[in-house]
Formats: sequence, structure tokens, C-alpha cells
Amino acid sequence: MSTLGRIDDLHISFGGVAAANGVSFSVERGELLALIGPNGAGKTTVLRMVAGILRPDRGRVFFDDHDVTALPAHARVRRGLGFTHQIVRPFYGFSTIENVMLAAGHDRTASPWRAIAGRSRTKARQKAQAFLDRFGLGAQAEQSPRTLPLGQRKRLEVARAIALEPKLLLLDEPLAGLSSVEALAVADLIRALPGQGVTIVLVEHNLSEVLRVADRLVVLDAGKVLAEGAPADVMARADVRQAYTGVL
Amino acid sequence: MLFAELIVKGLVYGCMYAMMAVGLTLVYGLLRILHIAHAGVFALGAYMAVTVTNATGSLAFGFVIAAAVSAVAGIAIYRLAYQPILHHSAFVPMVVSIGLFIVMQEGFRLIFGAYGIAFDDNPWYVAHVDLAGISLTYVEIAMVVMSVVLLVGFGLFAGLTRAGIGWRATVTDPQMATSFGVDPVRVRYLNFLFGSALAGIAGGLVGLLNNYVEPTMGGAVSYKALAIVVLGGLGSVRGTLIASLVLGVVESFGAIYLADIFDRDAIGFLFLIVVLMVRPQGLLGRR
Amino acid sequence: MSAYIASLVSVIGINLILALGLNIITGFCGQVSLGHAAFYGLGAYTAAYLAKLGAPLPLTLLAGTAMAGAIGIVVGLTSLRVRHDFLAVTTMGIGFVFLGFVRKQKWLGGELGISGIPGPGLDAVPYALLIAAFAMAVAALSLWIKLSWMGFTFDAVADDEDAARTVGVNVSTYKLTAFGIGTALAGTAGGLYVYFARIILPDTFDFVQSIAVLTMVVIGGTGSVWGVFASTIALTLLPEVSRAAADYRLLIFGAMLMLVMRFSPGGLAGLVHRRRPA
Ligand SMILES: Nc1ncnc2c1ncn2[C@@H]1O[C@H](COP(=O)(O)OP(=O)(O)OP(=O)(O)O)[C@@H](O)[C@H]1O
Ligand SMILES: [Mg+2]
Repeated sequence: MSTLGRIDDLHISFGGVAAANGVSFSVERGELLALIGPNGAGKTTVLRMVAGILRPDRGRVFFDDHDVTALPAHARVRRGLGFTHQIVRPFYGFSTIENVMLAAGHDRTASPWRAIAGRSRTKARQKAQAFLDRFGLGAQAEQSPRTLPLGQRKRLEVARAIALEPKLLLLDEPLAGLSSVEALAVADLIRALPGQGVTIVLVEHNLSEVLRVADRLVVLDAGKVLAEGAPADVMARADVRQAYTGVL
Repeated sequence: MLFAELIVKGLVYGCMYAMMAVGLTLVYGLLRILHIAHAGVFALGAYMAVTVTNATGSLAFGFVIAAAVSAVAGIAIYRLAYQPILHHSAFVPMVVSIGLFIVMQEGFRLIFGAYGIAFDDNPWYVAHVDLAGISLTYVEIAMVVMSVVLLVGFGLFAGLTRAGIGWRATVTDPQMATSFGVDPVRVRYLNFLFGSALAGIAGGLVGLLNNYVEPTMGGAVSYKALAIVVLGGLGSVRGTLIASLVLGVVESFGAIYLADIFDRDAIGFLFLIVVLMVRPQGLLGRR
Repeated sequence: MSAYIASLVSVIGINLILALGLNIITGFCGQVSLGHAAFYGLGAYTAAYLAKLGAPLPLTLLAGTAMAGAIGIVVGLTSLRVRHDFLAVTTMGIGFVFLGFVRKQKWLGGELGISGIPGPGLDAVPYALLIAAFAMAVAALSLWIKLSWMGFTFDAVADDEDAARTVGVNVSTYKLTAFGIGTALAGTAGGLYVYFARIILPDTFDFVQSIAVLTMVVIGGTGSVWGVFASTIALTLLPEVSRAAADYRLLIFGAMLMLVMRFSPGGLAGLVHRRRPA
């Protein structure tokens, strides 16, 4: 396995309070890495810095052998570094399939020149329908995301990100708010992604699902990496248990 | 000496802008509406002041009526124009506000005529006093005194009374305030009442200052007040007050030193655009 | 075609180009502009100035278009930096800065504007048809954009900028594109207006003009090409219907803005279709 993404010594503080205080770890090609930690540990913040939504005060982000620290989020997406939002953000003005079509036609939207040159949406629609089918949303294609229950919105968020054909996908709590049956189904979909060539960094509080699907864990606490390694080893550590029970 | 005079005149105008801009800021802070129709309320105040004063001979009575009618108009605008469309995106209330402003302006033209009205008896816009070599008319002095009294009064009310604290809390964070038992709808009415009364008084004072009231008089002032609200960081009363004075002074200098390049009304916006290029969050706003 | 009809066609054509241009910025891309008349004016002043120097019509038109589009992109740059609500006030400000500038320029005729502009080298009727042809071309361009991937992407930017970034859309580039196209079209309209009116006054390009164009867009249905097309023609003809309609034109515009937003924020098009019509 080779390293696909690496972050090196990321720092950021909000109003003098450090939310990330020297975070470093890397993700290998084809693995499912789970980033866990108590509430407020800085998981979302780290993910947003990796995605390029937040600019770190210090530190670097490497992706696919390039330093992408200076790139804005959309440019990282174009290089294959996709992300989803903790609170789902579908285009509410679009139908479900249109949401995925826009992502599936990402070569079309790369520049205004290309975008104005073409009209045909047939191919993108076919691709989008296939992604929807894969994520169990085939029947909801023409509905507005407003009408979808949360579980389906979460799937849509992942389907849209996958339609961009990313190499690495950052998922922020895709299971939050789902019933245990739904969570199981979505977790299975996520588990299948590395086999399809998409490396995953998963932030998730649902520990039973995390332990079921993750290849490796990174534990974050108070803006620092507390532990890293195989799930069983990490969860056995006293300091990790302490970090969770100390807060919860 | 010119220097000091420009500063003082700028501050006088700044006080007038502050009376306009505070109402806009309160409305923005609470409802996220760019309340362009505030310009119409300003002109309404001016028309009330001039017609009532001319009819009764009492300036004080004219201004009381101006403030009261403007306050009622402000509440009516909220209730009838904005409240039914608050659930739409900010674009919709803004367009409604523009439409309402045009209707008011054209309404004044139809009712009061296109050519404007003067006060029958207005010695105060020429009579002046010398203060350390700077001459100020009585109206200019009244403008400063009125704005300071009203705004300080408002500040005391907002800072010291229970209702005022609820009000401030609502403007800062409506949801939070609601959960502490403040009635947000009452605060909205208070907002429009107070902001509109201030605008009406400002309109009356500007009418006195120029001894002339015309249908379009609200335009330039309130566009600048909008610029001030943005400069002040949108929704911050303190920022708005400071920005009002800054803009008044900048305009007063600009009107002299840039006279060959830009007219007076352009200077405020030029300043706004330059500031936004450097500080996109406004002069005092936070990101 | 009588001279009266020719002048009506010319005015309708110019208004169509203005409204369809603003529709690309506000309707397609969701960026508020309250200063569209400034770009109309930039195009007009550029074309008039060059025409007086003896430049031929194609050149002046092109220069007016390029000037308005270039400044439009600069203004678009502020839209990238400021909050959404600021943009309305900033674009309004651009209008005042433009007017405040030309009014003070002696070389642009100051308050009196530019007069004695040479004719287009065409009679009134063929010139009106030329304007109409431009308007049709702009309508066709609008429809093409709307149905192309550009329109799809504009929709996404207007709907949710953060979500658009998630799918790899360079939001800034698309916003600047919208501003560039929309304001350049306003410049074209300005250039065409110059040869039609043969005299330009600063006040033609004031805030009221910006609002009039916005009214055409909003009444038609922000984002709908057909809606804007129809409402522009209707609102331009309104003052011709009767003396009263001409006198109370602004009052009617204001009242329509309020009523349409209150009862059908999607404009005329919103009454016909339910969601994002072409
Ligand atoms: N934009 C911001 N401004 C100020 N503070 C912030 C901001 N974003 C995050 N923080 C703070 O940084 C810390 C880390 O927050 P973050 O959202 O990254 O935690 P998290 O691990 O994702 O938590 P959760 O599990 O609850 O989602 C918290 O203390 C939070 O309050
Ligand atoms: Mg989080």
C-alpha cells in the first residue's frame, strides 16, 4: 500500500482557542480510516482543513503526492479529494437525480467554456441513475430532496460525492441521526467503497459501526492525535477509554 | 481653519445619517431585510413636519406629528408589507421594499406636487452662531442636539431597562432571546416604531435645513444610510453610529478635495467600495 | 414600418438586451445587482465618445461592450468578497459612483451629456431591425445558456454556494462569468442606444433606470427567459397605452413589484410553471 493523503502538523485556533493543535496522520490507498474522538475533539475542523474549506494557521496537507495546502476546496475536489458535510447540503432547488447529475457531469462543469459548449445531459443522467440505484435511491430520482427522509438525504450526499469519482472521500458523520437499521445499511455501502477504488476517511460517533467497518483508527482528543492503529488495539488503550468516559 | 470647519460640518451630517441608519440597522439585525423604503418614511416625516407646522404655526407640534405618523407608517410597513413574506429569501423583501419606496415617492408627488414645499416661517436655517470661528445654523445645532439626545436616550433604554435588554438580545440572536421569554414580534414592532420615528424626525430636520421638502428627498440620504449600515458591519448599532460620523466627515472632505472628479453623492459610495475592497466585512464588522 | 413603430421597436429591443443581461446575473446566477444602468451608461458613454471621434459603429459597439464587461468583472470581484446582502448595496453604489463621475467630467459633457452624435449610417427602420436582431440574438444566447451545463451550474451556485464547491464548481469563476456576460450585454445596449437617441444625458442611466430593468426581470420571473421577454415588452409598451399609464409609470412599476413579490415571487413565469421554467 502507498500513502494517498497525509497531513502534517495542522494547527488552527478560533478566538485564541486551539481546535487543532499539531495534528498529523496519513491515509493509505484503499483503506477505510476512521477518525474518532469525543465531541469537540476537532474532527470536523480537521476534515474541513483537509477538504480546503478552512485554512490552517500552520501545517500542510498532501494529497496524491502533491502539496495541496494552498488549493481551494473545489480544486481539491477536481483532483479527487471529495468530502461530505456533517449537516447534509443537497441543492434543494434540484431533484434528487439532478443533484447527482451535476456531480456526474463534473468534466462539463470544470470551466465556463466547457459548460457553455454542451447541452446534452443524457450521459450524466444515465450515470446518475446508476449511482442512485447503487445507493438505493433509484425510485426517488425525480423527487425533491426536501421530501426525502434524513436517511435518504444522507445517502444522496454520499452518492453525489461518489459521482465525482474521487480517489479519497472524507465523510463527516454519515450515520448520525439514522436508525440502527439504516445505519447498518449505509455503513455497508461505505464499507464497499474502498473495494471500488475510493479511499475513505470516516468521522463517526457510532462506535459499533466504526469498529465493524474501519481498517484503522485515529483518535483525536482536544485537538491532538491521542492514538492510532488497528481498531482492537486502539480501543483497548486506557487513555482512549479515559478520553471518552471523561467527556461522556 | 477650513480643516476644523470641514470636520464639524461632516459631524453634523454624520448625526443626521445616524438617525437614518440606526433604523435600517435595527431592521436588518432583526429581519435581514434591506429596508429601502425607509427613505419613504424619511420623506413622510419631512412632509408631515412642513405641512403641520405651516398649518398650525407650531414647529414643535409639527415635529411631534412627524415622529408619530412616521412611527405608525413604519409599523404598518412591517405588518402589511414585510410580515407576509418573511419566509422568502432576502431578495423578495428587498424587491418589495424597493417597490414600496417608489410607490411612496410617487404618492408624495401626487399628493403634495412635484415642486416641493417650504416652511412659511423658518428663520433658523439662515440664523447662525459662531462657535470658535465656525458658523453653524440653528438647524444644524438642533440636528446634533436631537440626534445625541434621541440616540443616547435609546442607548440608555436599551442598556438599562428590562425591555431594552430583551430588545438588544433579540437583535443579536432572535432564537436565543425567544427561548428566554422575549416576545420577538413585539420587538419587531418596537424596532419599526423607534427607527421610523427617528427617520421621520431626521426628515423634518433636513426639510428645515434646506427649507425645502420634495418627493425624492429621501433617496440620496437613505442610499447613503444603507452604505453606512454596510460599513458599520450590518446589524451592529455601535458600528453604524461610528460609520455615520466617519462617512459624514469623509463626504465633507471629499466634496471639497474631489469636487472636480466626483459629485457629493458619489463620495460616500466610493468610500464604501474602497473600504469593502480592503475589509469585506465592513469598517467595524467581524468576519 | 412608420417612424413611430421603428422607435418603439428600438426601445423594446434595447430594454430586452438590458433585462435579459440582468437576468443572467440575478436570475441565472442569483447575484443581486441594483446598478445595471451604470453598465448601460458605460457602454453608451464609451460608444458616444468614440463615435464623436469618428469611429465606425461596429467598433464603438464593441468598445462599449468590452468596457462595460470589463468593469462588470471588476464589480463581480467584490461579489466574491462581500456577503450577499452587501452586494445589493455595493452594486447600488456603483451606479452612484458612475453618475457622480460622469456628471463632473467636462470631456464627457458634464450634466449636459454628449450630443451631436453621428447617425448609425442606416435609416430609422433598418436600424430598428438591427436592434431587434441583436435582441433576438441575446434571447437565443440566454436560452442556450439556460439549457447548457453553464445554466445548470449557475442554478447550483444560486441555490447553495457551499454545496456547489462540494461538487467541484469554481464558484468565483462562474459568478464572474455571469457578471461579465450580463454587464457586457448592458454595454451593447448602451452602444445601440447612442445611435438611436443621438444624445445621451447622465440621468438616463440613474438608479431609477436600474430599478426599471430590475422590475422587468422580477415581473417576468427571475431566471425565466420567456417571462422576462414578455414582461419587458409589456412594460415598455405600458406608457404608450394611455396618457395616464405614462404619467404613473413609476407608480405602476412600484405597485407591481410589491404585488408580484407578495403573491407570486416567481413572477409571471411562476404563475405558468411551478418550478424553474426555461
Ligand atoms: N468556526 C468556529 N468558530 C469557533 N469555534 C469553533 C469553530 N469551529 C469549531 N470550533 C470549536 O473547535 C472545537 C472543535 O470542534 P469540531 O466541530 O471540530 O469538533 P468535532 O470533533 O467535530 O465535534 P463533534 O463530534 O461534536 O462534531 C470545538 O471546541 C468547537 O467549539
Ligand atoms: Mg463534527
